[in-house]
Parts: sequence; structure tokens; C-alpha cells
Amino acid sequence: MFDTAIETLERDDFCSLAPIGWLHHKMQDAFFLVVGTQSCQGFLQTALGVMVFAKPRFATAVLDEDDLSGRDALTALLPLARTVVAEHAPRAIFLGSTCTPEILKMNVSGCAPAIERETGVRVYPARMDGFDASYTQGEDHVLQAMLARTPAGGETPNLVVLGCLSAIEEAEIRLECAAMEIPEPRFIPAESALDLAPVGPRTVIAPVNPYLFDATAWAKRERKATILSAPFPYGPDGSRAFYEALGAAFGRSVSYAERERAAWASLEGELTALRGRTIAFASDAMVELPLARTLRAAGARVPYVGTPNVYRKFHAPETALLEGVEIAERPDRFATFAKLTEHAPDVVVANLNIANALEGMGFAVKWSTELTFQPIHGFSGAQSLFAMFAATLRRHDALAGHRAKAGSETHPISMDFFLESHR
Amino acid sequence: MKLAIWSYQAPAHVGVSMCASSINGVHTVLRAPKGDGYATIMLAMFERLGVLPPLTINALTEGTLAGAPADLPRVLREIDARVKPKAILVTRSATAAVLQEPLDGEFGTMTPGELGAEVIFGASHPVRDNETTAFALTLRQLVAHVAADCARTETPSVNILGPALLGFHDHSNVRALRALFAAIGVDVNAVVPLGATVDDLRTLGRAWLNVSLVHERTAPLVAYLRERYGTPSVDALPYGEAGTTRFLREVCATLELPADRIAAAARESQLGWYARTVDAHALSTKRVAVFGTPTTAAGIARVLHDELDMRVEWVGTYVREYGDWLSARVADVTGRILVTDDYREVAQAIDETRPDIVFGSQMERHAASAHGIPCAVISPPAHILNFPLSYAPFVAYEGANYLADVVNRTQVLGLEHHLIETFGPRGQGRFAEQAPEGLDEPAVAAAEGAPQWDPSAERLVGRIPFFVRKKARANIEKYAREQRLAVIDERVVLAAREHVGG
Repeated sequence: MFDTAIETLERDDFCSLAPIGWLHHKMQDAFFLVVGTQSCQGFLQTALGVMVFAKPRFATAVLDEDDLSGRDALTALLPLARTVVAEHAPRAIFLGSTCTPEILKMNVSGCAPAIERETGVRVYPARMDGFDASYTQGEDHVLQAMLARTPAGGETPNLVVLGCLSAIEEAEIRLECAAMEIPEPRFIPAESALDLAPVGPRTVIAPVNPYLFDATAWAKRERKATILSAPFPYGPDGSRAFYEALGAAFGRSVSYAERERAAWASLEGELTALRGRTIAFASDAMVELPLARTLRAAGARVPYVGTPNVYRKFHAPETALLEGVEIAERPDRFATFAKLTEHAPDVVVANLNIANALEGMGFAVKWSTELTFQPIHGFSGAQSLFAMFAATLRRHDALAGHRAKAGSETHPISMDFFLESHR
Repeated sequence: MKLAIWSYQAPAHVGVSMCASSINGVHTVLRAPKGDGYATIMLAMFERLGVLPPLTINALTEGTLAGAPADLPRVLREIDARVKPKAILVTRSATAAVLQEPLDGEFGTMTPGELGAEVIFGASHPVRDNETTAFALTLRQLVAHVAADCARTETPSVNILGPALLGFHDHSNVRALRALFAAIGVDVNAVVPLGATVDDLRTLGRAWLNVSLVHERTAPLVAYLRERYGTPSVDALPYGEAGTTRFLREVCATLELPADRIAAAARESQLGWYARTVDAHALSTKRVAVFGTPTTAAGIARVLHDELDMRVEWVGTYVREYGDWLSARVADVTGRILVTDDYREVAQAIDETRPDIVFGSQMERHAASAHGIPCAVISPPAHILNFPLSYAPFVAYEGANYLADVVNRTQVLGLEHHLIETFGPRGQGRFAEQAPEGLDEPAVAAAEGAPQWDPSAERLVGRIPFFVRKKARANIEKYAREQRLAVIDERVVLAAREHVGG
């Protein structure tokens, strides 16, 4: 879709192990055992370790020379899994396979049944490499592994809400389902890694995160489940469309038009700050499409959206609402910078990799990582969602205003500045 | 396979990136899966780098698994055209190394002279080397690659070797050393790698003397410069007041300069006087443990022992290759040297000896806090708090002052201690440690007519992160009052979020 991008050039993204950050927080009885290099370990430590060091529920099985030269994976892994079970007593282990095992064609997932048998602890094997997947797709593959262990669905229609949510986001969906008198939703993941709802031909799966393509495709293919196709529940517009589609999936004709109108009305403060302002997305976490859609509905201009992967059919409900927006799939770093310069947006949404660099160039940046771990789903999350963008604009304008009033010059930012040892 | 939860050192490619990125005009191309690019985030966040870090991933993709080449020439052309570096260092992460791709073969297909930048293939090994050894090898390699014959400067001059981006207080340390040399009238020929240009690397032979700020990063380079140019180096470490004076004596002796300028320079330090003040008398009874990089551990352990008369229980390092070097430096300071890269061994040593103060890395801060022992962070790996914006050197006379402040901050002073005993410790702890407890308490005694919390709503609010919970509660109660609701249930919580946020 973006033919000038170089496939093997930097795409400024996190590793797919990053979702362990929110998944291990959600599932308190799970342990994440990652099979990889010292670099995987370094990433987990740098990205997640500082905050949770006191009792980490993740570790890396670091490959050594013997593993690289073809030692049997199970022989090497089993003792480590036993240690994890002995020291941490998890009720489930997620066995994450990373880039190096893929290159070595090491059958990490094949070890899962034997480890489960030997330790008596459920083992979910999940591919968490980052060759082409967006970092958030680590969650996609973890949930796919969980779906594969769900009991078969029965005759009664049921609802599975798929995607990692906070308790407060779950509560809204639960209450709305009750109001529509449709089946009570079960959530995957739930608070226990062993809590799995049945999935079968009478199951409706409602993905709430826009990066759950593989998991939903699996449930459709293998369990003949129905996948809800609707805009994702971000913003009043997306929430309305999501709940109306959810009702329709169970034969209820419900209208959330009034609810949506009231929601927008209560957002007036944020909307005033956003109306007419230009917001562009650097490719990051695959949440870009629905956020661009709801920001447009809020009155912002969104000329450009970079995003790691667009799945034509899965994302169709979103792309249908993004007419006139230039969508770039998998842009490289330089392509991203060229587009941002061209569009000169008031706010850029970007990964930490390039966020400070963009600020240095004079852009106001909303760092994107927050958008994947803050509770911003649903009607009840809309305030937080739009407030983040409004706050970025307000702060940028305020700082510039204060500096101008003081007659203080903004000094140019260059590499020399950061290397100058007398700074 | 080995189970790893926490490591002191980053993998080799991070060491390579730290070294190369510090040199002005050198760009690193790292052949790696995109996830290995978190070195970029460390540069961008810890160094608050407001420019694109001079480091680009040449990404492994699904195509690579199917046999597609790295496409290195295209990546090199793109960087050459857009960044215009003087040199491009090509290196790989451990994952890419497994593939054994012929990167130099791909480069060989390019037309000689096609690129403005010189292309150098990194010499460090992505699996066998660690952060430190990879840094040291890269530094030596880059210098050796461009080093040219050159004459000594006319007046005495030194090279300052070792400081780098992501280094521990390195920006301040360089500034302090520059001030020190200015005070004794010695020129600085070059600072390497932090801020050096490729031309600086070419002319390191002009200096009369090499001084190393970080021994374990510079040992191969110092040896190379001695061999190539016959440049001597200083052995003493410029830590503490007496230590810095010893360092300057050695500098002056080697350069055959009169040592009478030292006394004037030394007036900058207050450490010696601080040690004599009554406030510091109690330090003699303090038992301390020191753990970190070889250089910081050696330098700071000596100061604590020699200049503050503290009891050093043990000194250690995680850079195993320099365990003996450290041991030789502090043999008279302590009877116990701990050389290990397993954080659990260090935590165990802290647990067993229960020192009064720990001087260590971020890791020891965690381990010490488990026992309520204060810890001063004096070594990487460090937190973003250890990348100060202000001037905070650990070396030279200014560094001696700063170190005295660091020691001071770990102390609960006599009067303060008395007050705490009298009035209780409430409010003394760090906010983050106390907040969850405090904020978990039931809502402030319900005023007449105040809305009541339904248990389901309490549970929901209990899941809100503690640091925003109090505000969220207040918002919800305010909303409930405005709506004249007697009971706050889940619906009210959600409606409140919808209307007032939180």
C-alpha cells in the first residue's frame, strides 16, 4: 500500500513481547516464560522490569551455544519450567517463542504438551516474535493460544468478548449486555488464565482490540464461531456502532443514537480543544485506524495514518469510515518523517522511539504507548481518550505561549547539542 | 538454556550502539529483528535525545525466514543520502548472527565510492561479548580503523577516554575533568567517544597522555594507543579529594610538570573538610557495601574507606573480566571481593551482612530496600533519575563534593531521627510505598446525606491504579451528589467516568 517504503528498514516499533506488560498484570495466576536471547531478556527488563521487579512473573529462557547447535528444546526447557513452577507456583505458563527459535526452526510450541504433562501446570504456547507482526499482536497470539484450549461451545448462544480489558471497561460491556438482554459476556482473558468460556458455532466473538486478527480468524476457521464485524468500541461513535452490532448479533434491534448524542455533549470541553486541529498517526500499535476514525468524528482533521498492518476484511468497518485519509501500511522511519513533514499536523501520535525526536523537530507529540494500556474503551472511556489529545495540545500551546511572552528563544535541537559535554 | 530474570549488562549490540552513537558522524546499522531496537528507546528516553538516534535497524522480516537477503545496500544508500554520516558501522544482534548472512558480500556488490560514508563492519561478537566487552572492542576498532600518524601537540595535552551516551553521569564527569585539566594548565586533545568527531579519532596520537574515565571500556584502546603512538596512561582514578590529588600528581609526574598547581585546584573540594565536621563523625561507625562497574566500585570504595573512614564490608562488580583488576585496587579496603553477574548473589550478600548503606546499581537499590537499607546509586544499570539534567559529577574535586552530598542524603540525621521517634514515621516513607495503603482506606467518614458506596462499585474503584484512585473517588462522589443519587453502584461509576472522566 506504501510502495516507497523499504521492507527491511527501521519501522520504530516495540517487540511483540511488550504485551506481557499488560497481560501478566491482567492474569495474576500466569507466568510468561520467553524462549529467546539475552536481548529478549534485556527488553523485558528495560520495558517492564523496573516497575514489577519485586515479584516478576516473567523470565527468559536464554538460548546458549548448545541450543543454537541443535540441542533438543524440551531437554533444555523442562528443567527451567520446573524451576518456574517450584518458585512461582503459577496456574498457567505462557511459553513465548521469539525470533531466534523461529530462525532455528526450534519447535517450542511442540514442547508445551510434555511440559504440561510433567509439571501438571497448563502451558499455552504462543508465537511472540516480531518479524512482521505489530507489537500488540503479541496479545493476538496469546489469545489465540487460549482460544485453542476453550471447551467446545454448546447449543446455547453465548458471547465472548475478546481482548485484554480493565475491570472498569469490562463492567460497561457487562451492564450494556444486561440492558439489551443478550447473553452475559465472558471475557478472554479473564483474571485467571484458566478461566475459558466455551467457543463453538453458536458463539459470537466480539473483538475489542483492533489487533486481534489471527485469534479471531482461528476461532472462525476452527470453531465456526461468528466474529462481530463492527467498528471497535473507541469513542461515542465506535461504542454506539459496537453495541448496536452486538445487539443485532443476538437478534435485538437497539438504538444507541441518543446515548451517543449525550456522550458527545458531555465531551464538549475536549471537543472544543480538538475541533479543526490536525492529528496524524505514525505507525505503531494497530490502534491507529479506530482512533483516527473517532478523532475525525470528534471534529479533528486526520490527513495521514501510518499503521503496521491493515487486514482488509477485518478492518473494513473502520476503513469504510476513513474516506479521504491517507493510510500507509508498514511505512519505514524515513517514509513516516516525510509524511509528517508534508502534513505538518498539530499533534503527532508516535512511539517512544521517535517521540522525543519529533518534539525536537517542533511537533506536539502524544506518546502512543499510553493508548494501549489506559482504559479508553467504551462510552465510559471516551473522556479519558479525548482528554489525552486535548491535554497534549493544551500543554504544547501553553509552553509556547509562556516562552513567547518571556521572549525566551527556543534553541535549535541537533545531535551536537546532545553530544556537547558542557551541556 | 539458562533462566534469566534480571541482568546487569545489556547484550553486545547495545554496547556497540552506545559507543558508536556517541561519536558525532558515525551511524550504526543494526541487522536485527525490529524488537532489538530498544537501544533506540534507551537513547531517546534516558538521554532525552531530541533527534533521531544515529542507529537504524536493518530489520529481519518474514521474508528473511524464506531466504530473502538483508537488502543492506539499499538500507546503506538510504542512510547515506538522508543522514549523511561520515562512517556507517554495520553490526548484528544475536538473533541475526544465527542466520550467518553474508552482509559483507552484499556490501561487496556496491560500486566502490558510491557512498559518501565509509562502511565499517563491527568486530564484536553478538553472542560471546557482553555490553562492556562489545563497547571496548568497538571503541578500539573505530579508532584503529582511522588512526593516522601525527605529531604531539606543542604543549602538554591529554585524551579523556571512555565517556559515552547512556554512561553513568558521563556528561557531568567530562565537564569536571575538563575543569580539572584547565586548572592545572593541561589541554584536552580529545574526549572519546562522547562527542568526538571522526577527525578526533584520527588524531588521538597528538596527546601526551591518556586518562580513562571508565577503565573497563577503554583498556583495549589504551593498549592500542600505547603501542601505536607510545602514549602513556594514568593508573590512578580521579575519585574523592585525596584520590583526585593522587591522580593529578601522577598526571604531572608523567607530563613532567611542576605539581604546585594542584593545591590551588584542590581548593574546589570540600570533602576533606566535610569529613572532619561533627555531622560526619558518625560515618566511622557505618558499615557499607559497594557494588557496580569495576571503575565506579573501585573509585568510590576507596573514597568511603580512605576519606570518610567508613567500614567497607565488601566491594564487588558484575563485569567479571575485571574482577581481578578491582580486587587489586581495593585489597586494603576490604577483606571481601564479590565478583558475580547474578543479582541474587548480591542480594544475598546484602541480606547476610546488612550494611548500614549500600552503594550499588538500581538492582542493589531494590535489594537493599527490601531490608529498609538506604542505597545510593553509583553505577549503571540505572534509572532515568540517574540521568540528571543538572551538573552532577562523580569524579574530580567537584565529584568529591557531589559524592559527599550523596552520602549525606542516605543519612537520617540525629535531630531528624529524634523527631521521627517522637512523632512516628508517618509521612516519612516515599509516597509510592505508602500511597496504596493510605488510599485504600474507606472513604472519608460519610457526611450527612453523602452517597453510599455499593460493594460492587467499591470493587470496581479498587481496580483503578492507586495514584489516581483518590481523585477518581472524589469525582464519582461529586457526580453522584450533583445527580442527587443516594447510592453509588457500578452504573454510577461508569456514568461518572463518562461525564467527568477519571
